Amino acid sequence: MSAAPPQPRPVPAPPDFPVQWDSPEEAHLPWTRDPMHFPAPLPTLEGEMWCRAMHHGFCRAQEAYEMPIRARAKQINTYHYGAMVPAVPLEEMEAQGQRAGERIGAAIARLGELWEGEWLPQVKGHLAWWDGYDLAGAAPAALRAHLDQTVERFDRLWELHFCIVLPAYAAMSMFADLYGDLFGGEGAFDSYRLLQGFENKTLEVNQGLWDLSRKACQYPQVRELLVKQQGAGAIAALEQSPEGRAFLADLREYLQVYGQCGTTWGLSTPTWIEEPSPALKNIQGYLGRPESDDPRAGLAVLADQREKAVAEARVRLKGYPRQVVDQFEFLLKAGQLGVVLSEDHGFWIDFNAMARVRRVLVEVGKRLAQVGSIAAAEDVFHLGLDELRAELDQPGDRRALIAERQAQLAHFRTVSAPPMLGMDYGPPPDSPLTRIFGKLFGGPPPAAGEAGVLKGHAGSAGKARGRARVIRSLEEAGRLQLGEILVAETTSPPWTPLFATAGGIVTDTGGILSHCAVVAREYRIPAVVGTGAATKVIQEGQLLEVDGDTGTVRIVEE
Amino acid sequence: MEETGASGAELLWLGQPACGEVELVGGKVANLSRLAAEFRVPPGFCLTTRAYECWAAGLGEAEGLPQACEGVLRAAYAELGRRCNQEEPPVAARSSAVDEDGRAASFAGQYETYLNLVGAEQVARSVRDCWAAMRSERVRQYRRRYGLPVDQGRLAVLVQQLVGADVSAVVFSADPISGDREVVVVNASWGLGESIVGGTVSPDEYRVCKADLKVVGRRVADKERMTVAVPGGTSEVAVPRFLRTQPALDEAQLAQLAGLALALEGRWGWPVDVECAFKEGELYLLQCRPITTLIRPEQTL
Repeated sequence: MSAAPPQPRPVPAPPDFPVQWDSPEEAHLPWTRDPMHFPAPLPTLEGEMWCRAMHHGFCRAQEAYEMPIRARAKQINTYHYGAMVPAVPLEEMEAQGQRAGERIGAAIARLGELWEGEWLPQVKGHLAWWDGYDLAGAAPAALRAHLDQTVERFDRLWELHFCIVLPAYAAMSMFADLYGDLFGGEGAFDSYRLLQGFENKTLEVNQGLWDLSRKACQYPQVRELLVKQQGAGAIAALEQSPEGRAFLADLREYLQVYGQCGTTWGLSTPTWIEEPSPALKNIQGYLGRPESDDPRAGLAVLADQREKAVAEARVRLKGYPRQVVDQFEFLLKAGQLGVVLSEDHGFWIDFNAMARVRRVLVEVGKRLAQVGSIAAAEDVFHLGLDELRAELDQPGDRRALIAERQAQLAHFRTVSAPPMLGMDYGPPPDSPLTRIFGKLFGGPPPAAGEAGVLKGHAGSAGKARGRARVIRSLEEAGRLQLGEILVAETTSPPWTPLFATAGGIVTDTGGILSHCAVVAREYRIPAVVGTGAATKVIQEGQLLEVDGDTGTVRIVEE
Repeated sequence: MEETGASGAELLWLGQPACGEVELVGGKVANLSRLAAEFRVPPGFCLTTRAYECWAAGLGEAEGLPQACEGVLRAAYAELGRRCNQEEPPVAARSSAVDEDGRAASFAGQYETYLNLVGAEQVARSVRDCWAAMRSERVRQYRRRYGLPVDQGRLAVLVQQLVGADVSAVVFSADPISGDREVVVVNASWGLGESIVGGTVSPDEYRVCKADLKVVGRRVADKERMTVAVPGGTSEVAVPRFLRTQPALDEAQLAQLAGLALALEGRWGWPVDVECAFKEGELYLLQCRPITTLIRPEQTL
């Protein structure tokens, strides 16, 4: 059945992207970029931390599930690259893959129990540890120790992260595979309709913003002020009236619970608590919307569709062998929970826990800025962990080094990083495990073969027609107008409120199980993901037709 | 059970003594009826050759079933519902010719079978269709080829609860190819037995030692297709990937099947070929006949 693997092919580095390998072995690995999670260059500390997340987090989870592969990560010219390497001799890969399938299957069978009883309590335990520590009052030596413990907990949290997402995504992917096997290729989303319409933390974050917009509408002065005054000035203006202060109290209460996210995944960008204007902008966007746009109503529609689709499938399976029906019910339940966990793990780990890690790093930055070893607290992100430790032990002057790294970062922002480096071994063989990664990352987009047409992967059903709005970072989010097509490299959970404004979504990265696709389905807006080049090909203002079912974007008017 | 109609014995239940008479119900049903008391055979009744004759005599007069037959059939289907604890149980209607099984020609596949019928209406129509097929040109030609009187064939129709099988198996109490009598050979696959019998799936093949009921051979196949009950009949569909290369039967089930085949062989006195089904862990006996390639044709139970 399996064809001979294609010959490995070295991938030369482009002239503007010279690569120095640390070892000959590195040059032989299939390094790929992950622009979905890391669209932009990363400062030194952030890059180092994400490599740790792979080496100490992902690898330990892969060990725990006896997977045949291990994750490697490397910062190359400020960009994050990852590679998968075999953990066993090649001839044992298949058998090891089967063992991993069994281990992950066992976790799928206990997904709810593991989440509620083990994983979430562990995450909350770490959060409580950070929250119980007096950062500002810590003596230098104590802060140094706290930093080391923070890094240890960071590793453990990423191990947990991958222990959670592997079975959660496997459950969704396996359900989709089974549904396709049973009912054929009726539509890319048919299986996901049976998994949708449950509450999750991403939707809850957004629901809170909607509810705040309704509160603002109760105070005419607050509403008026928010409509008139965009940007950071709004908060200062709100402080001037009792109604404004009451609203700000509500906003701050909300942010304490939901404001631990920034503008995307990342440690080096401020959270909404530190810089609430992204949250406020979302609230402002909601002010003019009718009550019928309440996200709760949309969720209820999806839940209703889900129950109907589940009932239909059960009727169709009535005469099938018990083994098929049991597997269907098993994966349905696990897949439904998988969708919820695919968002909730991010809320708790990617955002809540990482916000705590950021707080420690920024505190270290403040101390280093006080002693003059760096210019400003945020410059801490341009040093490596060992450099931080050395500075805490014996402060020196790192300002020149930081300036050099800032310049390097600025330079590589203008360079487009190649999608692949090292050695190309071709696509991995088909298996239930590789199919999960395929659905998450989407793989290379299909060729369009027609001028003015961009092909990607089906992300969320439906067709939309609207003007393109190319948004490169969340800071530009305010430009998106109701019904426009949001064109972005990638979207992360803090972008979710934009889904309520956009008429459709087109991304460069991701597959049918990417965060963007999952959330677009929850918002019932068409999405084409993983086009590879939408943000480069599509010009702002062009009239687009987005077909989420076929994964096609058509530029109908310049 | 009340029998009405001019000649009586138009409808007989599996397990009733009269249902063992080959002249009334055909060889296949007679065998099954005799086994029904001892083994788990799905409940069912047979419209006998008398009912067929009644219909054949009135051919050209009415479209459907003769009045008397229709009433008896409806009452029996309602009774079957009570026995199956289901208001309108799904059933199969299978033809059983009196000169089938145990005669020179096997008649395999020459007569009609209807699966997954629900409601008295569908059952009555299918019985009529089974009868009508007896008069079809295809059957006439077949009978002519085997030197059988063309217009004197008589047919019974078995109406039996359809077991929505999880796994179906054909069990041979001797190796039908080598003739080895020390082993039981089992072919098994997912869903209803039609895909195995019809040859559209390569089933798992197991060999069980008769002496100790231990599995001595196992060839698990990639089972690509299966027949499942769907509204209005059955459908052959693709087996989902996760299930295709999984063994259809475990050791305990194989021992159970081999035990059943041994018991039936003992009853028959000759090696047998048994069709059966597992549903929710229960083993059902669907059909049993001698292995024609191994024994002389005149042998009956």
